[in-house]
Amino acid sequence: MSVYFPHKKLPYLLVLPQLVITLIFFLWPAEQAFEQAFYQEDAFGLSREFVGFDNFVYLFNDPQYYKSIWVTLVFSFSVAFSGLAIALWLAVMADRVIRGKLTYQTLLVWPYAVAPALAGVLWWLLFDPSMGPVALWLQYFGVDWNHFLNGDQAMTLVVISATWKQISYNFLFFLAGLQAVPRSLIEAASIDGASPFKRFWTIVFPLLSPTTFFLLVINLVYAFFDTFGVIDATTQGGPGVSTATMVYKVFNDGFIGLDMGSSAAQSVVLMFLVGVMTVIQFRYIERKVEY
Amino acid sequence: MSDVVLNNIGKTYPNGYHAIPSIDLTIEEGEFIVLVGPSGCGKSTLLRMVAGLETISQGDLMIKGAKVNDKEPADRDIAMVFQNYALYPHMTVYANMAYGLKNRGESKEVIAEKVTSVANMLGLEELLERKPKQLSGGQRQRVAMGRAMVRDPKVFLFDEPLSNLDAKLRVQMRVEIRQLQRKLGTTTLYVTHDQVEAMTLADRLVVLNKGKAEQIGTPMDLYNKPATPFVAAFIGSPSMNLIGANLDEQGIRLSQDLHLPLVHQHRGSVVWGIRPEHLDVVDEQNADFALRIQAVESLGAETLIHGTVDLGVKQEPIVVRLSGPHWPEINSLLWLKAPMEHWHVFDAVTQQRL
Repeated sequence: MSVYFPHKKLPYLLVLPQLVITLIFFLWPAEQAFEQAFYQEDAFGLSREFVGFDNFVYLFNDPQYYKSIWVTLVFSFSVAFSGLAIALWLAVMADRVIRGKLTYQTLLVWPYAVAPALAGVLWWLLFDPSMGPVALWLQYFGVDWNHFLNGDQAMTLVVISATWKQISYNFLFFLAGLQAVPRSLIEAASIDGASPFKRFWTIVFPLLSPTTFFLLVINLVYAFFDTFGVIDATTQGGPGVSTATMVYKVFNDGFIGLDMGSSAAQSVVLMFLVGVMTVIQFRYIERKVEY
Repeated sequence: MSDVVLNNIGKTYPNGYHAIPSIDLTIEEGEFIVLVGPSGCGKSTLLRMVAGLETISQGDLMIKGAKVNDKEPADRDIAMVFQNYALYPHMTVYANMAYGLKNRGESKEVIAEKVTSVANMLGLEELLERKPKQLSGGQRQRVAMGRAMVRDPKVFLFDEPLSNLDAKLRVQMRVEIRQLQRKLGTTTLYVTHDQVEAMTLADRLVVLNKGKAEQIGTPMDLYNKPATPFVAAFIGSPSMNLIGANLDEQGIRLSQDLHLPLVHQHRGSVVWGIRPEHLDVVDEQNADFALRIQAVESLGAETLIHGTVDLGVKQEPIVVRLSGPHWPEINSLLWLKAPMEHWHVFDAVTQQRL
């Protein structure tokens, strides 16, 4: 049986606002970027010249671009891995807490409400080489902390800032996942002689795999595309380009370097990546991980 | 030598609730003990205490002569079958059964041999590579039993293992469990709320009510000589007819005009009972009382007749069970005799059998 709507116009009217928003804020800019990618524009935006695929050719011959891909990969996988690991550990601990459970869980969810830029500034202050308490404390223990000069330390800092925000989100999902594991399975495993450690890795963790895989994709997408604010507030992509991810480079080349053509070409590459990620997300997550 | 001994075992929850005040039970080697009672009577708690999944608040639990109160479940050498089977969903049937042996550090060859032999015994050979969700309810149940058997434990614990199965399968599995237990000779503790299951499986039954053991005995002991009205009502289907009455010089006084002659020194209020199958249909002169028929349930092999007996101040519901088909008319009177040898009389105050 199919549902029949007597109104021909009403459904379109109802989705219109969403369509308009999508058109103005998503499709139009995307189209602009796509068009821009094939032009070379002067720094003042007064003239432009069609250059075909030159922007892309130049981009893929630029070692700096490969550097930014590498930075993105290192950054994203570090964020996803540490975010998942810490959140899982916290969730396992929170799952055991009996007294004050709600308070504990609420506090752990709070960081998610903090704006990305604020999170960045917070960590930037904590790690400031000349006055940040964490930096001073590290220096006291002999670690020469200066993320303005040391690229690896700068990377560590942005990873910490980006991860910190994402832990809350991961924590919620892991906690829900843990609570969905039937108690009797754990009990059966303990009667079967498995130690708590073994129970976790042979029973609980495999049963969490759908949650883990879902979070892995979500976290990678987050780290890839959604961490501009954090990076801009902490390191501005520096020192040099050691924390300039692909997204940050789009901004840097376009708005600082005023190379609109290259910036647009990079956007097109990113759009392609988003497309791929979306396909992965739908193909695998919707189907769920089988166990 | 007795196998499992519960000595003054009790359970008090942290909030002060006495789930089980005190229970004594001695289980002989190879015995099949069924814990039966209505939901909330503490039977599962007791089983979980034996398993080590609940702490024991008081008393001693001995398995094969060793006190195991503070031992981990794994160190008690028991195996448990859960109500929802608790099969590991991400593992194959084989891996499910092998898990316990693996944790014990058995070699691959030994595990393969043991799992295969148990799988053969339970008819699971074809299913070893399947995942639990590819199995039917009955097959899952069988895998859960296989997982328990493969470890060759000292004690089997069953927590309402058949309650998720349909009626037909339940009867079949019931017979199978009994046969397997006989064959293996493993001491078994089995929890159920189903009195038919309890009666058919048990060597001895423990009837629990509000955390107390009302009576411990063989199924026939409990059927023939229930110690309390609770046991009398719980064991047997349909339930025993129980009527509040008074015991005086003339006998059991059910009402102003109705008394059943009995010579007994006890005086005061009692509970008088007779099972539906022990009431005889007689003619009016020989009858003890008349039943006003309200409903007839014909099951072919037997007929259940529901009705009321007029006791003056109240209408007491009574069930009669007759063999074969009968078609008495609704609202007509059925004259009944309650033979004295089948009476059960309990003190209404102490709830004990007189």
